[in-house]
Amino acid sequence: MDFKLDPADEAFRQEVRAFLKENLPPDLARRGACGFHPIRADQRRWQRTLFERGWGAPNWPVEYGGTGWSHLRQFIFDEECALAGAPATDNGGLRMFGPVIYTYAGAELKARLLPGILKGELYWGQGFSEPGAGSDLAALATRAVRDGDEYVVNGHKIWTTGAHTCDIIGLLVKTNPEAKQRGISFLCVDPATPGITVRPIIDIGEAHSLNEVFFDNVRVPVSNLLGEENKGWTYAKAVLENERATSAEVPLNKRKLAQLRHIAMHERSDGCRVIDLPGFAPRLAQLEVDLRALEWLTLRALTEKSEGAVLPYGSLLKVRGSELVQRIGELTVEALEQYGSYLYAEPGEDPDAKPDWPPGPDYAPGVVADFMYRRAATIYGGANEVQRTIIARSFLGL
Amino acid sequence: MDFRLTDEQEMLRDSARRFLEKECSLEQRLHAPVNGGFDAARWAQFAEMGWLAASLPEDCGGLGGDIVEAALLMEEFGRNLVVDPFWGIGVLAAQTLLAADADKARELLPLLCAGELRPALAHHEVQSRGVIEHVTTQARPAGDGAWTLHGEKTLVMGGNVADRFIVSARTSGGSRDRQGITLFLIDANVPGLQRRDVRLIDNRWSAEVTLDGVRVTSADLLGAVGEGWAALEYGHARGLIALCAEAVGVMERAMWITRDYLRTRKQFGVTLNTFQALQHRMAEMLIELELSRSMVYRAMAYLVRPLAARQAALSVAKARVGQSGRFVCAQGIQLHGGIGVTEEYSIGHYFKRMTVFENELGSAQFHLEQLALRECAEPAAARAQN
Ligand SMILES: Cc1cc2nc3c(=O)[nH]c(=O)nc-3n(C[C@H](O)[C@H](O)[C@H](O)COP(=O)(O)OP(=O)(O)OC[C@H]3O[C@@H](n4cnc5c(N)ncnc54)[C@H](O)[C@@H]3O)c2cc1C
Repeated sequence: MDFKLDPADEAFRQEVRAFLKENLPPDLARRGACGFHPIRADQRRWQRTLFERGWGAPNWPVEYGGTGWSHLRQFIFDEECALAGAPATDNGGLRMFGPVIYTYAGAELKARLLPGILKGELYWGQGFSEPGAGSDLAALATRAVRDGDEYVVNGHKIWTTGAHTCDIIGLLVKTNPEAKQRGISFLCVDPATPGITVRPIIDIGEAHSLNEVFFDNVRVPVSNLLGEENKGWTYAKAVLENERATSAEVPLNKRKLAQLRHIAMHERSDGCRVIDLPGFAPRLAQLEVDLRALEWLTLRALTEKSEGAVLPYGSLLKVRGSELVQRIGELTVEALEQYGSYLYAEPGEDPDAKPDWPPGPDYAPGVVADFMYRRAATIYGGANEVQRTIIARSFLGL
Repeated sequence: MDFRLTDEQEMLRDSARRFLEKECSLEQRLHAPVNGGFDAARWAQFAEMGWLAASLPEDCGGLGGDIVEAALLMEEFGRNLVVDPFWGIGVLAAQTLLAADADKARELLPLLCAGELRPALAHHEVQSRGVIEHVTTQARPAGDGAWTLHGEKTLVMGGNVADRFIVSARTSGGSRDRQGITLFLIDANVPGLQRRDVRLIDNRWSAEVTLDGVRVTSADLLGAVGEGWAALEYGHARGLIALCAEAVGVMERAMWITRDYLRTRKQFGVTLNTFQALQHRMAEMLIELELSRSMVYRAMAYLVRPLAARQAALSVAKARVGQSGRFVCAQGIQLHGGIGVTEEYSIGHYFKRMTVFENELGSAQFHLEQLALRECAEPAAARAQN
């Protein structure tokens, strides 16, 4: 064991920090740090900046335009970006789908799909879940029938985050309805294709990120098939593992905890800072304890992964990370008290629109919307109940 | 002890349940336009059915009931997440007025019972955080026995439709002294008063009220100068119990909605209710619900006790109900999966209501702190409390 941080990694952190100071525009940072869903235009702008610096894909190998950074450096980078309030980069393209594309796709598809992700021009939607296929994803029923060099797709996806602003959808379809997992294929679908209808779903934060997507005789070129027909489950599992690998969201939780501290130092009870109320600081300390435990579990997961993981880290981290983001949100709403009950409407995609918000401090808008949205943290990416079953079965042998 | 309802109480509950299910269900409202949460015709019906009178004494135009009636109604409101300002006007303001000034109560409460007067309590301030005696709004002497009011009141529930405000202001003392708080009853459109309506996340409405030199005289007084605290405590005690009763209704309905969903939603070829992990979660939800209900009963029983014991019981109730309610409603969402976080579906709204509950009249944390202070200050008294 060697617990020392390499001085070169610390120097790297300083480099990232300096870059952010120099290049992250304040308007982006302001919107990135509040809890509303990120604006796509902000994400595109920021991804372009990162790309130009050569940091477009921290987690990809150099041959595909990535940085080739160690896991630790990626972690440091994510943390610095989060703390600076940088808009979330495209988790779908960079972390979930990109790696699956360069691992499994043929040369043509790789050349077509990877550069756009790097430049912030190709945002991904995840078209997996269906009304009848949530936790039981393999029960999906969206059908694709081959017709010459096209597939004809019919079906209904739900919970597709960002379908209304994405450039491509990673779609799971049944190509062999007789089989369950082994009848699934993976298509890369342009959402502008005729026959696709996107219907918004508003979440309980009164914000829009979710959608239903309907496919009515949608023709998709066979060249958009990822890998082999009926092997889609393998790719889907890889996507989901990638999703969970970062699902503890330690950098995000750090930012939120920092925000909570800030709020607790500014909200007051008859002049007394909320953070100084007798019951408050112990709860803050508890969150700190839980965040640190999660952080070091993440560091273990990142470093041990290279030697073939044994623990189902993804599931461990998903369960506790999602609970933590909810608990931080809960205490933040409490710290805001009445402003935690006020409805601050989501500003929407137009960065220049002036929202008509009720009175309150600058840090209030977005907190409750995010708190509400994060009820889903224990649901999306595989519900926690299902993760616990995975832990019990795959590792404990129960 | 007897926890059964009287026949009249049962009738009140049943008729309220029938009416609200039919007229005020969440499903109806979700698609209705946002109208400030107020429907004048329905308010008139509340009056007609005697709901506004249910927990007021007969000499004030009431039906002679007490807190039990208010709690029964509020529980029904909670089940349907009713947004009409019954609590703000019909409980908090009405009960405060009742305790503040017997003469004015006899004069004005009959109008309130009839639905013709809608006073709201403009008492809470940004830095109150659960402390009733927190008042920084000033009543400055302006000669001839008059005062001018200066200050900001927030989270005035029902304030958006109020025609009168009961305003608490300091005529003496520091920001958290019990002495020196004076209550005034003022017109909603009096010069110097500014109102900003605020929609809450649970679709109820409140108002922020700014008082900038509002002129009042002794004719506007409720009760004696400097003696307003007792009436505020009386109103808040009843308001808190009513709020907790509402939360019990919220929790109970959230639990049954979830139970029903588990019985119908299929994954892996079976309905979700067959998974033991989910059965156990639901069992926990029921336990939390019934513990909360018990705390509401206890708080009602303690209303007649001396101040310290009463306040302790209220704190116990608010803390317990807040914690349980959050658990029950959060798990309600969780067991629904994705559909639970959508605005179109009901269960998330139950969670939102409980979130607002925590931000009203002191959070669970605040009330735990009150109890902790009591443990330290008078451990013997805290322990002897039966
Ligand atoms: C905000 C949000 C964003 C999302 N984004 C996307 C996206 O971009 N793309 C996409 O494809 N999907 C997305 N999803 C869908 C997500 O993956 C599913 O919601 C999730 O897999 C759960 O499925 P479900 O909603 O159908 O719930 P169900 O599967 O119906 O589950 C309901 C409840 O039952 C429990 N349960 C189910 N099976 C079992 C079992 N065997 N044992 C014990 N308990 C069980 C669950 O844990 C849950 O509590 C998103 C969801 C949300 C809420």
